[in-house]
Amino acid sequence: MATGLAIPQSGKDAASAFDRKRRLKLLTGLAVAAAVACLPLVVTDVYAQNIIILTLLYAALSQSWNILGGYCGQISLGHALYFGTGAYATTILYTKFGVLPWFGMIVGGVVAAAIALALGYQLFRLAGHYFSIATIVIAEAGLVLVNNWDWAGAATGIQWPFVPDSWAVLQFNPRNKLPYIYIALAFASITWLTTFSIETSRWGYWWRAVKDNADAAESLGVMIFKSKMAAAAISAFFTAIGGAFFAAFVQYIDPESVMNFQLSLLMALPAVLGGIGTLWGPAVGAAILIPLTQVTRSYLGGSGQGIDLIVYGLLVMVVALAKPEGLSSLFTSRKAPRA
Amino acid sequence: MISRRSFVAGTALTAASLSTGARAQASEVSVGVLFPTSGSGAQVGIDAIQAINVALDVINNPHPDLELPLAKGSGLPGLGGAKLRIVTADHQSDPQKGRAEAERLITQDKVSALIGSYQSAVAATISQTSERFSVPYIASDNSSPSLTRRGLKYIFRASPHDEMFSATMFDFLDGLKKAGQKVDTIALFYEDTIFGTDSSNVQRKLAGERGYKVVADVKYRANTPSLTAEVQQLKAADADVLMPSSYTTDGILLIKTMSELGYKPKAILAQAAGFSEKALYDAVGKQIEGAITRGSFSLDLAAKRPTVGLVNAMFKAKSGKDMNDNTSREFMATIVLADAINRAKSTDGAKIRDALAMTDIPGEMTIMPWKRVKFDENGQNNDADAVLLQWLGEKFVTVYPTELAIAAPKFPMSKA
Amino acid sequence: MTLQSIVQILASGLLMGLIYALIAVGLSLIFGLMDVVNFAHGEFLMLAMYASFGLVALTALDPIVLMPVIAAVLFTVGALAYVGVVRLAMRARANLGMVQIFATFGLAIVIRGVSQLLFTPDYRNVPNVWLGGRTIPVGGIYLPVPQLAGGLVSILAFLGLWLLITRTDFGKALEATREDAGAVALVGIDKNRVFTIGWGLGAALVGIAGAILSIFYYIHPDVGLPFALIAYVTVALGGFGSVFGALAAGLLVGLVEAMTATILPPSLKSIGIYGLYLLVVFVRPRGLFGSL
Repeated sequence: MATGLAIPQSGKDAASAFDRKRRLKLLTGLAVAAAVACLPLVVTDVYAQNIIILTLLYAALSQSWNILGGYCGQISLGHALYFGTGAYATTILYTKFGVLPWFGMIVGGVVAAAIALALGYQLFRLAGHYFSIATIVIAEAGLVLVNNWDWAGAATGIQWPFVPDSWAVLQFNPRNKLPYIYIALAFASITWLTTFSIETSRWGYWWRAVKDNADAAESLGVMIFKSKMAAAAISAFFTAIGGAFFAAFVQYIDPESVMNFQLSLLMALPAVLGGIGTLWGPAVGAAILIPLTQVTRSYLGGSGQGIDLIVYGLLVMVVALAKPEGLSSLFTSRKAPRA
Repeated sequence: MISRRSFVAGTALTAASLSTGARAQASEVSVGVLFPTSGSGAQVGIDAIQAINVALDVINNPHPDLELPLAKGSGLPGLGGAKLRIVTADHQSDPQKGRAEAERLITQDKVSALIGSYQSAVAATISQTSERFSVPYIASDNSSPSLTRRGLKYIFRASPHDEMFSATMFDFLDGLKKAGQKVDTIALFYEDTIFGTDSSNVQRKLAGERGYKVVADVKYRANTPSLTAEVQQLKAADADVLMPSSYTTDGILLIKTMSELGYKPKAILAQAAGFSEKALYDAVGKQIEGAITRGSFSLDLAAKRPTVGLVNAMFKAKSGKDMNDNTSREFMATIVLADAINRAKSTDGAKIRDALAMTDIPGEMTIMPWKRVKFDENGQNNDADAVLLQWLGEKFVTVYPTELAIAAPKFPMSKA
Repeated sequence: MTLQSIVQILASGLLMGLIYALIAVGLSLIFGLMDVVNFAHGEFLMLAMYASFGLVALTALDPIVLMPVIAAVLFTVGALAYVGVVRLAMRARANLGMVQIFATFGLAIVIRGVSQLLFTPDYRNVPNVWLGGRTIPVGGIYLPVPQLAGGLVSILAFLGLWLLITRTDFGKALEATREDAGAVALVGIDKNRVFTIGWGLGAALVGIAGAILSIFYYIHPDVGLPFALIAYVTVALGGFGSVFGALAAGLLVGLVEAMTATILPPSLKSIGIYGLYLLVVFVRPRGLFGSL
């Protein structure tokens, strides 16, 4: 890691202060992970554990999205494409060729990263909303194609075979959610660590420089482009891993449930709520958003009057308006750097 | 345990608001009810809950005039007169949410069985959950044949699936052909969802086996803004029978577009869904005088079986609508389940499952045109027959099978 | 495929394209004015259709007659959306783009929820309209009257919009505010007022589209979603902010959609639109006529 190179301040004191801060962040991360790991000892209800799993999954997905959307400022609203790639690669390899999901997951991630690289070359030339709309369009095109792809089950989707509990194929009795919780926690931790190391790497500084000062982009030109491509690939890779996990967790996939536009929004939303382009934003956002939406649907949705939608929509609106820099800014003392 | 307690409090709140009337006693049996109550399938879910509430009324209160299991008495005698109550959940047509809600109903609300779910994709995940938890699941209105072919022990379906429905449709066409009508070509028109795909696959296969020529095979994107090009293909093919598999929205658009493009199909034979919804006929009923849809329910049966009319009146009082293909099946699913719980004399899932497997309700004790309710080893009722209903003079008229028909079919529909 | 059916498909595609253009132009106008994409645009369309349904039930008049009233209702909706939500979103110091995306996205969900609460999720239709169900056969080509009227209204709306922008003081204020929102304050133009009217105008245009659609389309809380996606593609294809671009792109989308559905299985017809869009922006990153 090129931390020494990239530090804006100079001098040994500043460097060691920086390292101390970094170490503190790492310890905080460790403490949060440990606390989450202990959560199932207290929360034994299956429904609540289900919410924990989804929260961790979305924290990880949003963290992956944040690498491209937050740090690079490329607002993708088409990450469902990568999610679906992971879910379909894993499911097809497992159900048709007997490849264990653990390997299928990696294949899905690599394929998604390759797609991101192929698309990135064209997409990064588009500015602002043109970029966002293009990502929506590409993801929708992917959905339509898979929906018509008979070999991959088309609209009927693919059901995972019904097997006894097994770590090898990631199937567990639904009363025993612990394995899923720990896999999701590991996934969230890895994406957090990846963001953590990128944040202080050379790339992290370049991206911030570009976001703050467009002229800086000119001078860094080609290198920025390459680093953005790398960010897109990393982001896509982890999003696909999330899709693979989701497929194993639900044991049934169809295009609508793993490639829908709403999914793309749901991946961006926690980062936006928690603080876009921040290390803790996605996790904070997911921890608030996911339980709230699940509980409002469960306890208000049965009426059929749309009340759950109203609550969810108001929540999104109020948080976006009231705290544009994200809720995680509540936990940091520093002032907003941009005026 | 803080979070758990607050969840339970939430549940109690919901339960209290739902079970108005039913006093909270120990002698209650809870059943989980999973339907979409938001999103584009919301109205179906809301109607379904109404239908199931009618069934609860039938079971929990004395109805001496109804010829249905458990109607005469009050509650479930096998469980000391315990009342049946439901806990509803919204799955928003999402398989993942369907699964999570099924788990919640089973673990938090301790439901003894599940009923649902309209979309077959959601039924797939609910059935897996019910199997894992050993809690029976009645697929009330899902018609995908594969659901009861996966060797699951806890799924039961009293109503026909797509293959049985489509077989009836082709039996009908065979009959017309024998009677000298020209029925050689068919056009398939179906949406690109699990429902449309399953339905069209069966129809394509049956058409091949029985010697009908498929002259148009049009798969379209559900909820598309325009169907002009699609209808143009149907018009160019001009088949003897048009067989649509569409939900309400696309069904309305199809009919409107056909009349805009000056296409009058010779006959429409629909795979229910949108074509059994009142909303479609409210919108375009005049334009498709003579359209035929398959169904599981016929109000004409009321002439022979007064119970049918009485139950329909109860439903109409609640919802303002006549019972249809879906609501009748949801009602019947609840009755079949209650009958099994009563015989099981237990709220235990495994015991209810065994009782369901032993179910044998004669057709006369249902509101459906079925021979009986008796499940095979996969949980499918093979004695459930479909009916064909024709839209004539602003209402449905049963035209097939002959023993239930009250009128001869008007064929082709465009004939004066 | 006969020549007749090819002409039919092209004619239908063009008529649908005019309606797509009318739906999209309001979105484009708002974007051009203040660089904001309204993610509740489809919901505005849905509200317009319910407004048509409600007003017809109330007054027993025809949607065509009620069109100005529906446009006025939607003008109010749009102006309120700006004053109540977007104005606040514009104040954000950080992540402006994301804040406005999610503020309008949240608004969209709220509107859908409220509509389900008020109107129930049942499918509605405007009954007994003058133009409904009529169609004009011309040499074997069928031209449905509602779509013809819709196309005509769309062309008139575009003409009116063009006159408004080029010939009126408000148009000049609009243009000036779009060029430099900071500087206009110096010459005495109230930026907020221009934005409010701009949002009202954008919504009123989609209101006209909704009135037309209600003649031949079902009404439902989710009805805006498929139209909204096409509107976003249309606007980006034509170039954000370009009124003429929205018209050209709308026609192109209508045509390509109809042709794709004829060549490929119809379930793949949106691929044609998406492919066209990607092809265009990869060559011209700001769309056909975009300058922003």
